[in-house]
Amino acid sequence: MEKAKISGYQLFVLIFLFEMGSALLVPLAGEGKQGAWLVILIAMIGGILLFFVYYALFQYYPNQILTEFVRSILGNFLGRIVAFLYILYFMYLAARVLRDFGETLLTVAYPHVPLFFANAAFILVVIYTVRKGIEVLARTSELFFVLENVLFLTFILLTIVSGMIHLNNLKPVLEINGVEMVKMAFSKTIFFPFGELIVFLMIFPYLNEPQRLKKIGVGGLALSGIFLSFTMAVNIAVLGVDLTLRSQYPLLTLIQSIEVAGFLERLDVYFLLKLMIGGFIKITVFTYVAVTGTANVFNVKQPSRLAYPVGFVILLVSIVIASSYSEHIQEGLSAVPVYIHLPFQVIIPLLLLIIAYFKNRKKSNKHQQHKTELKGGVEGK
Amino acid sequence: MNRKRLVLLLMLMGTTFTSGCWDKTELNEMAIVSAVGIDKNEAGRLVGTFQIINPVNVAGSLQGGGGTNPSISIYRATGDNVLELDSNASTKISRDMYFAHANLVVIGEDVAKEMGINSIFDAFERSPEFRATTRIVIARGVKAKDLVETLTAIDKVSAEKVIKTIESTEKQQGGSITINLQEVIKNLVSSGKEPLISGFTVRGNTNKESKIENTQTSNMAANPNAVGIGVFKDGKLIDWLDGNQAKGTMWVLDRIVNTNVNIDWEGKKDAVTYQVLRQKTNVKPKMKNGKPKMYITVRAEGDIREVNAPIDLASPHGSIDIEKKLAKDIKKDMEDAIKLAQKNKSDIFGFGELIHETHPAYWKKHEKDWDDVTFPKLEAEVQVEVFIRRTGIRNKPYLLDIKKGDQ
Repeated sequence: MEKAKISGYQLFVLIFLFEMGSALLVPLAGEGKQGAWLVILIAMIGGILLFFVYYALFQYYPNQILTEFVRSILGNFLGRIVAFLYILYFMYLAARVLRDFGETLLTVAYPHVPLFFANAAFILVVIYTVRKGIEVLARTSELFFVLENVLFLTFILLTIVSGMIHLNNLKPVLEINGVEMVKMAFSKTIFFPFGELIVFLMIFPYLNEPQRLKKIGVGGLALSGIFLSFTMAVNIAVLGVDLTLRSQYPLLTLIQSIEVAGFLERLDVYFLLKLMIGGFIKITVFTYVAVTGTANVFNVKQPSRLAYPVGFVILLVSIVIASSYSEHIQEGLSAVPVYIHLPFQVIIPLLLLIIAYFKNRKKSNKHQQHKTELKGGVEGK
Repeated sequence: MNRKRLVLLLMLMGTTFTSGCWDKTELNEMAIVSAVGIDKNEAGRLVGTFQIINPVNVAGSLQGGGGTNPSISIYRATGDNVLELDSNASTKISRDMYFAHANLVVIGEDVAKEMGINSIFDAFERSPEFRATTRIVIARGVKAKDLVETLTAIDKVSAEKVIKTIESTEKQQGGSITINLQEVIKNLVSSGKEPLISGFTVRGNTNKESKIENTQTSNMAANPNAVGIGVFKDGKLIDWLDGNQAKGTMWVLDRIVNTNVNIDWEGKKDAVTYQVLRQKTNVKPKMKNGKPKMYITVRAEGDIREVNAPIDLASPHGSIDIEKKLAKDIKKDMEDAIKLAQKNKSDIFGFGELIHETHPAYWKKHEKDWDDVTFPKLEAEVQVEVFIRRTGIRNKPYLLDIKKGDQ
């Protein structure tokens, strides 16, 4: 853990941009058809419930990052293994988002550039940021937050002005019935993007006002959920369900169809800016927690020295995880949620919480005195 | 210190070699395509015609000079699919074809009728370079190449001329429909709506249209005209809507902006002209005895522009009579358009989509046979309200005074 503090507003902004990240670009909850926006909102509520699980864990160990308190809960040996698995998980997710980013860039703008070079250029920036630490990342995200919202507002305004929104496209909302919707929300959309908030268990201890964390977390999730839901609703209202589902990047198709007054058109750069902002924040957060986690588990004194090796591994993984974009997406839709997200985002945190609950109850009954001493000791580190 | 310099050097190299220059294309390596025409030859292969902008000549004519050379160049290629056309054309073009400014795709009538348009648009939709807002037209009675290679006078690039003509025809007359690539594909995919695409033709001497002399006379020998709207079913062109059929269809689609409605008066044909200024068409499906019925209501406001009959417009009674007659005529046009669509078994109005939106359960049962069984039997009730707001800067027509003097 580095010696750093971030403010509540910075954390809120970071959560917001992280959640919007790559989810804004893909047809999120597309199988929900006309009701996709509703599925996202349901998943957001699920995401808030998950956040309460993470929050409860944080309450037990307010000064420890995930890889540290896992060892406090499970003991040194088992804890180290689980912490290591989490590091792999974060690195894998970083690689996935990096791949998303590179593929999108190649599809949309640079068809002749090899994927490796696009990804390498990006990961270099990420490594640089990670070396600078969490405070720099938080300040950067403050800047991006303003830019992102200006982009969002102007793009919504242009969409409305060009008269492309046909609310009829959103009818019938219940093309998929309610039970199916809830199922979809809790089997897919909750994990991506809302459940990925688990990485923030590695960042929460830096918050300088932990008493406000609950509000910040719920606020960040709710705001990003509403934005995502709204964007998807606009996508469908403009493009219709068929086209939205057929588009790799519905938002790009939407932006390309904007035509205001015969000259305000071809605004593809909007999409690329959103891609850069979202991709950068998301990859950097994942890489950062992978680096601090590794340093924490293997007792490395200077975490920033790990940025290069970890970044390089992420770069290589991002190239080899799939041979084509369709394969990459298919993995992300079918295998990753069930076999990777579900255990890491839900099962392990819940188990940890249950163990932590019993452990701390015993402690607080018998060793009230001892616990405070222990806490003081950890802080001293 | 040394290490820092090395890092700096590496970063400088990195930013120079990896930021965007990789995929650069200089302007003089690009051939900017403004229109694409797609025809079919006797062997059933596709023939593509690419209209490429000649930048020097377009700019020259803007400054008042130039005009000695055509502002467009035409290249042709044969192939079995759209991308093959592109790559085969490269044997003739010295530059890379750049499609981001292609505003128009012209489909030959024979392609639309015999092969259908279903298998044409994927390459256009998939490419990030090609625009979703590209307009689509059908070359009616001529080959797509005739339309693409025609030189035009006021708009130097004929793709621009075609697009503007369709837009103004839709606005002034309601006889054409502006439709882009994205909407066409949307309608092709939808089971509750079929596409409509405007027709365009070249009238006149079809051997001289690609020569510069064509633009050197005030009365061009070959001039592209908007003609009618093509009706599609299962991706194939099956019928053309002209005149009142087209207008009636546009009324139902709520796409009338300004149009002139002419009515007969006491045996005199087209004696009164009424110009619509604003209008709103509402289409609502309602279930009756387990069957849907479409309720279409139109509310139009406008002015009287021409009266060649002795009608006293100064009195409200005269106006009301005209309003009633106008409503009757518009209603008839709309009902005829609906009947024709039902005869063609092609739901060009998107009634199916409306029923899908409002009665999803019924739609699920009838989606499969919508076009062939349910839509042709669908009942529709049209109600038209017309309001005359103003009559120009005269009240009574002078014809009324002439008649009085004669007596």
